[in-house]
Amino acid sequence: MELFYVLGLPLLTAFLSLLPAKNRNFPAALTILDALLVLAASWLVVLKVSGGAPIIAVKDWLECDAFGGLLLLLVSFVGFTAAIFSWGYTKNIVEPNGAERVRRYYWRYNLFLASMLAVPILAQLTLVWMAVELTTLLSVFLVSFPNTPEAIEAAWKYAVLTCMGAALALFGILMLYWGVAATGGDAFTWTTLLNATPNMPPILVETAFLFILVGFGTKAGLVPLHTWLPDAHSQAPSAICALLSGVETSTALYCLIRMVPCAQGAPGAAPEKWILAFGLATCACAALLLIQVREYKRLLAFSTIEHMGIILVAVGLGGSASYFGAAYQMMSHSFAKSFCFLAAGAVLRITGTRDIGSIRGLIHESPFVGTALLVGAFAISGAPPFAVFLSELNILRAGISSAQYVATGLLVVFIVIAFCGITFHLSRMVFGEPVAKLKRARPPLSYVFSIVLAGIPMALFGLYMPNSLMELLRLASHALGR
Amino acid sequence: MGNKILLNVIQVIVVMAFSPLVKGVLNRLKERIQSKRGPSIFQPYYDIWKLFHKDEIVSDYSSWIFRVTPYVVFVTPIFVALLIPVLTSYPLFFAFMADMLGGGFILALGGFFATLAAIDTANPYGPMGASRTRMVGFLAEPVFMIVFFTVSFVAGSTIPYIVQKHWVTPIANFFEPAHVLVMIAFVMLIIAETGSIPVDSPSGHFELAMVDESKGLEYSGRGAALVKWGGCMKVFVLFCIFLNVLVSPWGLAQGDHIGEVLLAVPLILLKMFIFILILVIIESSLAKLRLFRIPEFLGAAFVAAVAAVMTRLLEF
Amino acid sequence: MPDMWTSNLLLHELSALVAGLFLLTAFGLIATRQVLACLRTFVLQSLFLALSAFVLGYLNASASLLAVGAITVVVKIVLIPWLLLKTLGDELRARREISQVLNIPTSLLIALAIVVFSYFVSVRILAVAPKGASAMNLPIGMAGLLLGAYAMTVRREAVPQIIAILSMENGAFFAGIAIAPHLPLIAELSGAFDVLIITRVMGVLVMKVHERVGTTAVGDLVTLREE
Repeated sequence: MELFYVLGLPLLTAFLSLLPAKNRNFPAALTILDALLVLAASWLVVLKVSGGAPIIAVKDWLECDAFGGLLLLLVSFVGFTAAIFSWGYTKNIVEPNGAERVRRYYWRYNLFLASMLAVPILAQLTLVWMAVELTTLLSVFLVSFPNTPEAIEAAWKYAVLTCMGAALALFGILMLYWGVAATGGDAFTWTTLLNATPNMPPILVETAFLFILVGFGTKAGLVPLHTWLPDAHSQAPSAICALLSGVETSTALYCLIRMVPCAQGAPGAAPEKWILAFGLATCACAALLLIQVREYKRLLAFSTIEHMGIILVAVGLGGSASYFGAAYQMMSHSFAKSFCFLAAGAVLRITGTRDIGSIRGLIHESPFVGTALLVGAFAISGAPPFAVFLSELNILRAGISSAQYVATGLLVVFIVIAFCGITFHLSRMVFGEPVAKLKRARPPLSYVFSIVLAGIPMALFGLYMPNSLMELLRLASHALGR
Repeated sequence: MGNKILLNVIQVIVVMAFSPLVKGVLNRLKERIQSKRGPSIFQPYYDIWKLFHKDEIVSDYSSWIFRVTPYVVFVTPIFVALLIPVLTSYPLFFAFMADMLGGGFILALGGFFATLAAIDTANPYGPMGASRTRMVGFLAEPVFMIVFFTVSFVAGSTIPYIVQKHWVTPIANFFEPAHVLVMIAFVMLIIAETGSIPVDSPSGHFELAMVDESKGLEYSGRGAALVKWGGCMKVFVLFCIFLNVLVSPWGLAQGDHIGEVLLAVPLILLKMFIFILILVIIESSLAKLRLFRIPEFLGAAFVAAVAAVMTRLLEF
Repeated sequence: MPDMWTSNLLLHELSALVAGLFLLTAFGLIATRQVLACLRTFVLQSLFLALSAFVLGYLNASASLLAVGAITVVVKIVLIPWLLLKTLGDELRARREISQVLNIPTSLLIALAIVVFSYFVSVRILAVAPKGASAMNLPIGMAGLLLGAYAMTVRREAVPQIIAILSMENGAFFAGIAIAPHLPLIAELSGAFDVLIITRVMGVLVMKVHERVGTTAVGDLVTLREE
């Protein structure tokens, strides 16, 4: 039942936001309320699935298991905090251009949120593909929302590259359907696929998996098809960046790593080596490119690519400990990255520039924003006591205990490089002598509120994890391996 | 056996006699489509007759190549006409001399001599046109080879008489993708080799834009007549190969009787006429390609031919 | 020969012929310069896709394939060109692509290499799963997919890039109709829907690019870099 709410509420809000209302804050308030309700519904879903059994709303169409529940929770939480942030964004930046623009923003925002929520709860694979494609198409205009030439260029590259990836993934999915139909499956769902792959010819499974890896990998930001990601994730409005980096890449990665146990089922097919190779290459490129960025939002975008690589490496290492680490990393990354982008949005608001070099001494001029940025930097680069540190430690421990020293060693190197890069750049912005006068001293209240809200789980889950969440992560990791 | 030699001779006479007619019909139709009146369809005959009765002027600076070329250009299509199915569906007496590849080489020999002779004259436009023809030629040769390769791969032989049977029995083979793609590639080749639009303008007078025509500018009198006639026969022979081997291998004489063979003559002319109609429509609806785009045109022909091979391989 | 057999053979050959012509249109997308000619080539490719769907639907007695053909005709042959022309209009008619990243003959050679590659991959797959007349659709569909991806990377103009992406979906479905004769309608409907939304979204985006950046040669947009 909750699944219907999860899907239906954002759609309803999208349509309602289009109505011209007396009160100019109507669409924003409605969106925040809707996001809160969706978050509540997702929490209910999570509580149910951490009991062990998946929720089945409509058999073979709307189902949700533990891994899907995890993703649902992440999407709804980030959607909530980003909605609060958007209040301030639309009030201060968009509204001067007309209430029509505000309505359009929320119309697209809600549709985008609905499409991301749909990915984990749809069971038919072709519909999942459609939902992933929709997450792109519905967010294109959100990326180009600032209407600057750079934003439009970023939106174009985003649209073109991810649509190309989606077409490649479609081919892989059609090949898998062929295999499933040949072995007598009826509906084309995740569970049917999982049961059917042992009977499918391995060459078919491997080829289909490779197409899906490249296709969905484009969407998740894997090297070498990541070129759209720094542009799109830096030019979009910050609330949208939080959504894109925090959860949209995770939804694409979710589809990809859900495919891994299906591919492992075919005798002789070894998708782990591909995943490990792509994951390590992604980490390497991201870590090295991170060092020489000029804008802080691009820095955070490259960090997203890095974390996607880390999750893939974790899945590629194999073993239940490492799958647990992958699920944990997904969760901690979403929380930390959305926090970082909201903080970056606040920085942009008060300084007016995207350039790292021209911002100094934030902590003196605006303590709240400076602290937030510093905390975010440490959180996302994997410093203790934040959750990202624990999840990375889990992955590394699992890698060492499964005796894959080379991969684990390389991963450590790349994580360290990224850590140095992020903390160096961002702490240079935070400390030092203030260089330029700020445009305004304090960010809007809604920014403050959303940053604090986003920071709570990020800070909390490094120290203490509620049992239900621990159970959820454990069950989710079961979906990752056979 | 005597009959076969006779039939072979009749075949050659048909080629020699009717090729200017084909050229004349082509020119007239092109003019008609442009709402002009056009020359008489027998105009090429009048031109050749006139040229045979004129004096020949040969430059002092040219060598034996220039003197020999008109004869080579005249004789090579006749050689090829001995090998290909023009009137009969079974090989005639001299058909053992070469298969399709050999025929292609012999035609290329004529073109080669014409190009050399154009450079030989020291006329400025000669080498210019010669180099352009060579560019078109060197891009067209691989396509020729691939077309022949595909055709022989599909039909199992390089002898045109055997190949032609493959496409008609059963009729479903006509729609084979290899067949259709090879037809498309060959049409583009014919356009390139006979100097039609979009590769070249056969009726243009502007020497700077000429590709093929400039090779014949220096000849006069008997030489010019032979070059002109040889050009007509080359076109006729290419059309014959295309129509009788690839497209419509019907209407050829099955038996030995001379009456049957003579009956095949109007049939081949009819097939030619229909093909000329299609060619004229193509020519009149396209513009001449700029020189640097001719490789693209021939690249497309190459790709079509290779796609034909690919689809043939994929069908196994 | 009994009529049934010859007509089946004829249909098999027709299906193979349509596959060959589909491949030719995929090459055509790389080689055409004018944007309007690109659009026409895409329409031709969709027509061949629909024809193949009809022939295979008749041969396999599958109603869903006939529906696939009908949907393709409606969406890709009628709606998409109408949508593109409506959104982009005069832009489309006037545009002529001056240069690509590689020149056309080189691109055609690379395209041939791509076809050879997809042939080798498909042959290994087809060896384990025998099929009858439609054995050609898988390699040619895969080739169409990869050629569309290649065309997208090589083109500089916006609209040919959009058309290249749409042709990738054509290629994926061309392979799909042969390997999954009873594809549920949901797949085709979502594909058609997706294609429509892509066209609409990217058409509007092209107009925005043209307004703000001043040109639709999107391959030349390189302001966002690490320098």
